[in-house]
Amino acid sequence: MHISEGVLSGPVLAAGAVIAVAGTSLGLKKIEYDRIVHVAILASAFFVASLIHVNIGPASVHLILNGIVGLLLGVAAFPAILTALLLQSVFFQYGGLTALGVNVVVMAVPAVLSHYLFLPLLGKSSTLNFTAGFLAGLFSILFSSLLLGAALWFTNHNFFETSFAIIMAHIPVMIIEGIITGFCVTFFLKVYPEIIPLRKK
Amino acid sequence: MNIQKILFLVVILAIIPAGPAVAHKVIIFAWVEDGMIHTESSFGSKRKAQNCAITVVDEQGQVVHTGQTDLDGNHSFAIPENTDSDLILTLDAGIGHQAQWKIPKKELITLPSVKDIQTAMKKKESLEQGPSVYKIIGGIGIIFLLALGVKFLKRKPS
Repeated sequence: MHISEGVLSGPVLAAGAVIAVAGTSLGLKKIEYDRIVHVAILASAFFVASLIHVNIGPASVHLILNGIVGLLLGVAAFPAILTALLLQSVFFQYGGLTALGVNVVVMAVPAVLSHYLFLPLLGKSSTLNFTAGFLAGLFSILFSSLLLGAALWFTNHNFFETSFAIIMAHIPVMIIEGIITGFCVTFFLKVYPEIIPLRKK
Repeated sequence: MNIQKILFLVVILAIIPAGPAVAHKVIIFAWVEDGMIHTESSFGSKRKAQNCAITVVDEQGQVVHTGQTDLDGNHSFAIPENTDSDLILTLDAGIGHQAQWKIPKKELITLPSVKDIQTAMKKKESLEQGPSVYKIIGGIGIIFLLALGVKFLKRKPS
């Protein structure tokens, strides 16, 4: 999911950077004072998640966790994901620095959307809590795959072929992240409900 | 709840055997030997980059060779004729993953010294190195320091 240096064309990189800066500015503006620690916790989880690899047959994929980050943070997912991706790029060489903006857009936009789509489902029943978390995890990876396909398409690849290959490669991640996000949501609602913004309302 | 416990176990069991494989740090390493250019491509140090396209261009950006890695992530080819510049090798590992290695012109025409080989091997080892605990802890520390900075900027005047 991390686009390397030198893959994308200049206009795509520039567009990604502009959207990432706008999203991050909005996110920083919207972060409530009392929720800054939650942003740091979830940014740390996102930063470390890429190190957890899952072997599925001959393929090896890593966790992303943008679903849980977006579900719980909303627009504040932008600065959280930007910081984590920047550190992943510098420390682990995951993704190029010039592609940072596009990588942020690819992972943060679906994360923010999952907040508005699935957060209203939380807090009604334990089954619905798990289902909402599962869908947030699955949807975020699916939509990120499509955005990645679009970014590559704007450069020089075939959109449908590329997106199909990306989605196929990430199906195991979608399912695993769905399950992890579902468990995290039900767990947080029981032991640390303050981190779920819905509970505050 | 029982189904949730089973699913949780499935996830844990799926993750545990994964080990230290690094899937998204794409590496290409190349060296010159007996008129041939040899390349090794991988994701980190463990997983070989199989059937990936390799493109070689000169300093003017002209393509002088194209090829594909084998099942061991290797690809070898003869030094292109009339080469009079550095060569840049690009590995396309698919879906946005790419890596480059530069072979200086000097390496194409002269035998490498022991020092050159040692330098190249050190570079290869550093590329293949996995994330250290210090970097992970340092990264988390930076995130919390930045959060502290944002908290300071957003503090309410008393």
